[in-house]
Amino acid sequence: MSELVLKNVTKRFGGLRAVGDVSFTVPEQSIFGLIGPNGAGKTTVFNLITGVYKPDAGSAIRFGETDLLPLKPPMIARLGIARTFQNIRLFGQLSVIENVLVASEKNRKAHLGAALLRLPIFYRDESETYDKALELLRIFDLHKMADETSTSLSYGNQRRLEIARAMMLKPKMLLLDEPAAGMNYGEAEGLKKQIHWLRDEFKLTVVLVEHNMQVVMGVCEELHVLDHGETIAHGTPEHVKKDPKVLAAYLGEEASESTTEAAP
Amino acid sequence: MPRIVRGVLITALVVVVLIWLESGFGASPGFQTVLPDAAWRQLVLFAMVNVVIALSLNVINGMAGQFSIGHAGFVGIGAYTGALVAGHLHVRLGSGDPQFANSFIVMPLVLLASGTIAALFGLLVGLPSLRLRGDYLAIVTLGFAEIFRLVIATAQTGGTAEGSVAKFLASLGGQNGYAGPEGNGVPQYAGPFWIFGSVIVATLIAWRIKFSGWGRALRALREDEIAASAVGVDPTRYKVVSFVIAAAGAGVAGGLFASMHDGSPTVQPDSFTFVQSFDAITMVILGGSGSVSGAIVGGVFVTVTVKLIEQLQGLESIQAFRADHPSIDLNALRMVVYAAVLIGLMILRPEGLFGEREIFRRKRPKKGGGDPDNNAAQKSQSTQESTQDSENSTPADKESTESASSKQATSETLTTAEGTAS
Repeated sequence: MSELVLKNVTKRFGGLRAVGDVSFTVPEQSIFGLIGPNGAGKTTVFNLITGVYKPDAGSAIRFGETDLLPLKPPMIARLGIARTFQNIRLFGQLSVIENVLVASEKNRKAHLGAALLRLPIFYRDESETYDKALELLRIFDLHKMADETSTSLSYGNQRRLEIARAMMLKPKMLLLDEPAAGMNYGEAEGLKKQIHWLRDEFKLTVVLVEHNMQVVMGVCEELHVLDHGETIAHGTPEHVKKDPKVLAAYLGEEASESTTEAAP
Repeated sequence: MPRIVRGVLITALVVVVLIWLESGFGASPGFQTVLPDAAWRQLVLFAMVNVVIALSLNVINGMAGQFSIGHAGFVGIGAYTGALVAGHLHVRLGSGDPQFANSFIVMPLVLLASGTIAALFGLLVGLPSLRLRGDYLAIVTLGFAEIFRLVIATAQTGGTAEGSVAKFLASLGGQNGYAGPEGNGVPQYAGPFWIFGSVIVATLIAWRIKFSGWGRALRALREDEIAASAVGVDPTRYKVVSFVIAAAGAGVAGGLFASMHDGSPTVQPDSFTFVQSFDAITMVILGGSGSVSGAIVGGVFVTVTVKLIEQLQGLESIQAFRADHPSIDLNALRMVVYAAVLIGLMILRPEGLFGEREIFRRKRPKKGGGDPDNNAAQKSQSTQESTQDSENSTPADKESTESASSKQATSETLTTAEGTAS
């Protein structure tokens, strides 16, 4: 089993409580949405899971049998938790395919010595990873630009390249931080299909931070809603959609009152 | 031809050429035939030592993107280590004039010792400072290089040194420089064979680091440390290892520098000041950070430019000008000219001469006939070919690469600089 469990996770930055006492479990091979208004602490939760930040005392984060708290980001990535970033973080000067190749780090058999001596294992390793990377680029329809520098790609392509790079880790879990940001309706529809397909094809667990409700409601099986770092709702999209606290957080106090009044 | 056969043939050819340069097979040494002027020979060898320095600094500054500004410190450690080893071995071998045959005993040990000791100091400096993100490395390396230089320069020479450490430091000659165990100069074993050979080996190593998974991870780390660690690249390990490699390379360059033919007979602390560290950075940035070809060209360019400006002063017209205007200090103007050249280059090419590109890097050939734009449809063996080919791109056998690639009619040139600059 490799489900992700967060228990009483708290993170303070100075006096600000960015995440307060958040607990949830992401079941294996589900598509799980983490939503909430701006500044709700969603990205902080991602950073806590991937080890960029360490939570305050009393928190617990487990992935399957493994305690993630003592691990540094590279180790957590090697466990099979891959992520993308809200503000795209590609390796700018590297080509598109090199961006993906870097993520073969965990599976690279040829180490520095083999690379310096150009042993047969080096060539075998390089050609195998190239094939794999190219295959992934094809999935994301980026193979035609494999040799371009990643900064020259369009915004949407850069987002897709980030996902392709994350997939090169052969992850068990994929954390997507606002993958639909800046996408139009059609592109977002495509993204929905792609997320479903990825989950089914690679037996992934997907955790999604997203503002685009078209994507969230269309793809997530379970939602966890944060506001000011606190949990305000949890459940299926249908359930969460009607929750008065969620409506209040998204639309403001009065609006939610009027909608709850209007609702039967 | 199988890869291994080709590799062995090329190596054999290179070794023969290098031995000819040094010994001339009974006739006069090839290097002296090619360059009869001793001053030019010295300049070429010195430029090659600088190329090794630039290549090693390029690993940490260019590829890993960590700013080390005390590279001369590691060169200095290598130089003193090399001078000590060479000096003592020379005495063991019975002194006299350094023989080429004996250099096969002396130089491997010199280079090994210089590289190892410098690498150990690299580890010592790098381990604490590279665990942190940011500019700590710059400060620590700068401090380290100055400490090293001052410890040697201010050692009490002659007389009352007590304790084994103080005695050892005193034996290094302080400000006057180290002149071997018998005080009659560091034996000059490093001729063209060893110096050109080291340049070739250093180029190969730098090239193979850059074009491997390891180098890719290093460059990714330079671009974005957070993203690199999110795909499993351990920043600390990569940074420390690349820093140690850079320090070892600097040490080897120092070892060569200490026992260079036609070089200075003493190793002096003033050869390893901040100015030398700065020159090394200039070579890397001028050539293009991260580019192996760039480091080579940068190393040669900086050495030759400095030398040429010196030579210009010997011209009659300049001498006459000097006599007419005694108030103008031409020696000081030298640095102004040098700076102006650098500024001009940086305006014309802010990313350095090469950016991160290389001279001899074949693009992966296109596979399949269908879609002419389908750049990416290459197969695995094409990557093999390109990596294999890149092995040959050392300065000594550029020609062989050139002819091989033109035969296969593939596009490999210095990729056009404009357009991709960002």
